Amino acid sequence: MAGCAAKTVYEIFQSMEYGPTAAPSAATAQAWLEHHSRSLGLFIDGAFVSPAGRRSCPLTDPKGSVVCSIVCSEDEDVSRCSSSAVSGYKSWSSLTCSQRSRVLLRLVSVLGLHGQCVSELCDLCGAACSPTALVRLLQFYSSWAQLRDALLCDWTPVGVVVVVTSDDSSLYSLMLKVLPALAMGNSVIAVPGRSAAPPALLLAQLLAAGGLPAGALNVLTGSDVTLGAKVAQDPNASFVTYSGNQQDGAALCKATAGMGLPVSVSLCIGPVCPFIIFESADMDSAVDEVVQAAFKKRKEVHWVLCVQESVSESVTARLKLRIAGLKCVSLRSDADRVLVDAAVEEAQQQGATLVQSCPPPPGSQYPPTLLCGAAPSSPFVVSPPPGPLLPVVTFRSNAEAVVMGNHSPHGHAASIWTEDLTLALETAHSLSVGSVWVNSSSVVDPCLPVSGHKDSGTCTDGGQEGLYQFLRPSGSTPLPRSAPGLMDYTRFGTEPSQAFIPESSEPGSSPQSYLQFVGGKACKSVSGCTMAVRAPGGSAVLALCPDGGRKDVRDAVEAAVKVQPGWKKKSPSARAQSLYSLAKGLEAKRLELAASLVSQTGVSLDEAGQEVDLSITRLSVWAAYCDKMQGGSLPMPQSGTALAIPEALGVVGIILPDKRPLLSMVTLLGAAIATGNAVIMVPSQKHPLPALAFIQVLQSSDLPAGVVNIITGSPDQLTVALANHSVIKAIWYWGSAQGRQYLQHTCASPVKSLRLFHQDQEGNDGGPDWTRSQPSLLQDLWRNAVQWKSVWIPSA
Amino acid sequence: MSARNAGSVLDLDWISRVRVNHQAVLKRAQYIQSLKVSKKQWQAAWLLKAVTCIDLTTLAGDDTPSNVHRLCLKAIQPVRLDLLKNMDMHDKGITTAAVCVYPSRVADAVRSLKAAHSDLPVASVATGFPAGQTPLETRLQEVRLAVRDGAAEIDVVINRTLALSGQWEAMYRELHQFREACGDAHMKTILATGELGTFTNIYKASIVSMMAGSDFIKTSTGKEPVNATYPVAIVMARAIRDYYLSTGYKVLDPIILTCKIIIPIYHYVTGRYAAFHELPMA
Repeated sequence: MAGCAAKTVYEIFQSMEYGPTAAPSAATAQAWLEHHSRSLGLFIDGAFVSPAGRRSCPLTDPKGSVVCSIVCSEDEDVSRCSSSAVSGYKSWSSLTCSQRSRVLLRLVSVLGLHGQCVSELCDLCGAACSPTALVRLLQFYSSWAQLRDALLCDWTPVGVVVVVTSDDSSLYSLMLKVLPALAMGNSVIAVPGRSAAPPALLLAQLLAAGGLPAGALNVLTGSDVTLGAKVAQDPNASFVTYSGNQQDGAALCKATAGMGLPVSVSLCIGPVCPFIIFESADMDSAVDEVVQAAFKKRKEVHWVLCVQESVSESVTARLKLRIAGLKCVSLRSDADRVLVDAAVEEAQQQGATLVQSCPPPPGSQYPPTLLCGAAPSSPFVVSPPPGPLLPVVTFRSNAEAVVMGNHSPHGHAASIWTEDLTLALETAHSLSVGSVWVNSSSVVDPCLPVSGHKDSGTCTDGGQEGLYQFLRPSGSTPLPRSAPGLMDYTRFGTEPSQAFIPESSEPGSSPQSYLQFVGGKACKSVSGCTMAVRAPGGSAVLALCPDGGRKDVRDAVEAAVKVQPGWKKKSPSARAQSLYSLAKGLEAKRLELAASLVSQTGVSLDEAGQEVDLSITRLSVWAAYCDKMQGGSLPMPQSGTALAIPEALGVVGIILPDKRPLLSMVTLLGAAIATGNAVIMVPSQKHPLPALAFIQVLQSSDLPAGVVNIITGSPDQLTVALANHSVIKAIWYWGSAQGRQYLQHTCASPVKSLRLFHQDQEGNDGGPDWTRSQPSLLQDLWRNAVQWKSVWIPSA
Repeated sequence: MSARNAGSVLDLDWISRVRVNHQAVLKRAQYIQSLKVSKKQWQAAWLLKAVTCIDLTTLAGDDTPSNVHRLCLKAIQPVRLDLLKNMDMHDKGITTAAVCVYPSRVADAVRSLKAAHSDLPVASVATGFPAGQTPLETRLQEVRLAVRDGAAEIDVVINRTLALSGQWEAMYRELHQFREACGDAHMKTILATGELGTFTNIYKASIVSMMAGSDFIKTSTGKEPVNATYPVAIVMARAIRDYYLSTGYKVLDPIILTCKIIIPIYHYVTGRYAAFHELPMA
């Protein structure tokens, strides 16, 4: 800047150029770092510890100078941390709700004193987070801490929660997980990514100063995401949740597969998000917003600008004018520059026109660039490089805008611009993304419940809905911890099922042969093979059922996908009527179903009758729930309207438990379809008959063909088929540790939400007691069958 | 001054397509105002530029030749000479853009400026300023008389009745007649944004004014309860950009700011904050 300093007033008066913006002061943060001799330790048991002999890892600012160094934790630190977290959980969860709330609130005033230091430190480390956003988070979750027992009775905290974020995550996304976990009474081991590590350590210190019991929040730092897996391996951990980019998320899921630990991920860094401008939009405001969102230095999402063809010229003209006045943006590294250059060159080769304010200078500076004439399939749209690039695509009609916006594996967010409220709401409902910002972009608030749709995550953060990942219904048993076994993932489920061969039996008593149910039709398996269903305890062949496989799953998914959008679109009361009629149909076939239960499980006729009765009630309960599971309008601090909308996941795969074969199936089926999903169910291999007998009830019901599919066969083989079908968004699984490990490993990318339950060879499981209709158990089920979308419509 | 805005035919289709999202504009204004401003010589240069864009104005019932004379001299020397010398700007013609008075004072102002050997333009408000609620005939006559007295710029106010009731064609015709009455004098159209109700109306009024041949559009008369605000400036600047994109003319939006400009300049030069008596008086 030496050359600039010599500029005279008159020269600037003539050229009207902008001066250098003064670098923000970081004196307080530097002083804090200096106080720690620029090498930060770990925060364990309420104090900083600096274990000797650890590798340390330097943290550099964007200009390349070292800010400080962080310690790479080792196994010893992890075990020390976990025992501290256990004792922290004891003391933290034994406090009353209002005591916990008070501790969190106290941090608000502590932040008032030290907010400057926190925000400077965030800026220094490149994990920008404003103190006002942190204060809002704290206030929101301290009130939830206060109201936990009043509004979330019948739920208990899960225990020790491990929160992992990737290196490029901000402090905000870390705290968006840490604070609700704390508010619900869990203790937390935070494993922040590199850039958020120093501010996270500072916040942990501030929270401890505010009265958080020692051990309730520990912070471990490391060089990469493997530390997260190491912490998860500790037997005291009960839940792992991750926020950050896709690669690290998948790596973490794979590394934790088979530990017997539920893992949820929010992949909020790096998704491609549509920015849709309709012809009815305030074009100038839309252009200003997209320029601000797409060309900022540290953007968390990649925008793709979708413009209606009728206004594309005037939007591009405005964009060109705006871009002309923009300065170059600094890339994170020289390696990024190579990626950007390659992408731009490729785009030009494909005929895209480039609009830049100036030719790109050498080095790590790059001018804001428009890539006009892109297509949704262009490589730089599908996997965009880092840097200030904005692809522009055009669409013809409103429907095409939705198709274009949805045509991506990501489902993180979308921004839509129109002054037409009907169009805005219609589009918001049709886009499968977690957040829709109408006439605005990038608004975040803890009161908005947001689930990543499609590949963007498996859990809901924010709002009341976001609290449930840190809770479990009282009385439920968590998954048993296990050590991941060595397994060959390519060989799981490939073992051919036992062939059914003619056996010598009394003449004239050939077993009854059942059909499976795919796309509304009872049918044989594609392969034509059958397998034997054996009587309880005996070896006698009770019946024959189809031996379904990959192709049966494919057909079922095809049928389900066709019918599910219509089923989801039906009014909740229409879905309720269908479920009521299903209950009525079950009542009509009461005797057949009871008989199948008796012959299959060997229970008495009385018991079987009871199970059928309970199943009828359960279906009616789900019917009643249909129009009660609703979102609503949310209280945002800004003026405007925010809507929370629960939406069906899509197609859900269920590997059913052995226990209570009819009741459990009906309960899970009800939860899934009441919320608008389609299901593909695999009856337990041991007790498939009640499910197969239920097919006649389904046939006589008015459920659209394809909403419910039942496929019998080897569970392992069908698990593999379900896990490898990208359409299926969620799998609920009862089965072996091996199967669980396979699912966790395979469903890491693209992600599926998994609900895993332990079930051993004898059919004992750790799942819910199906006969009880505890509200929290049913709520837990339907919460797993929906994903949340929040729509933000600001107004003045 | 570059080529004048010749105006264009009234494009009602364009007017009907105008859409402005209120909250987005407010948010944009908030964002721009939160940006850090350049300091040191950049701040001084930008502020001096602002000075040269100001219409130094007195529009009061008690205006007499003496205070109009003082105003003219301040317009010629808005920043103290020693401060300008310090920045090497004393010979760069730092004056305000114009002196703005009521039609009856135009002759006084022209005389004072001539005596001071200055070619600073005199601007006159006209057309029933500030309310514009007088017959079209007298409003036109007012413009002609001000031009005859030597005003080089005429500040006309739009007819808010027409704007609020959506009679854009009638408003266009009125402004067109004003423009003809101005002759060689520049026409500066005051929109009185505080009385137009919505941003959309402000946008439409801006576009219609430019189509009718305004050389400048201005936010307000200074006499409404709400005057120039940041969001309104954004809306008008966007309308100007829109007009530029379709016609290639850059209509100007003069900045209306207070004397607060001088204090930071004083601070830049001397490193001290000025007392009132150290600043030029009007």
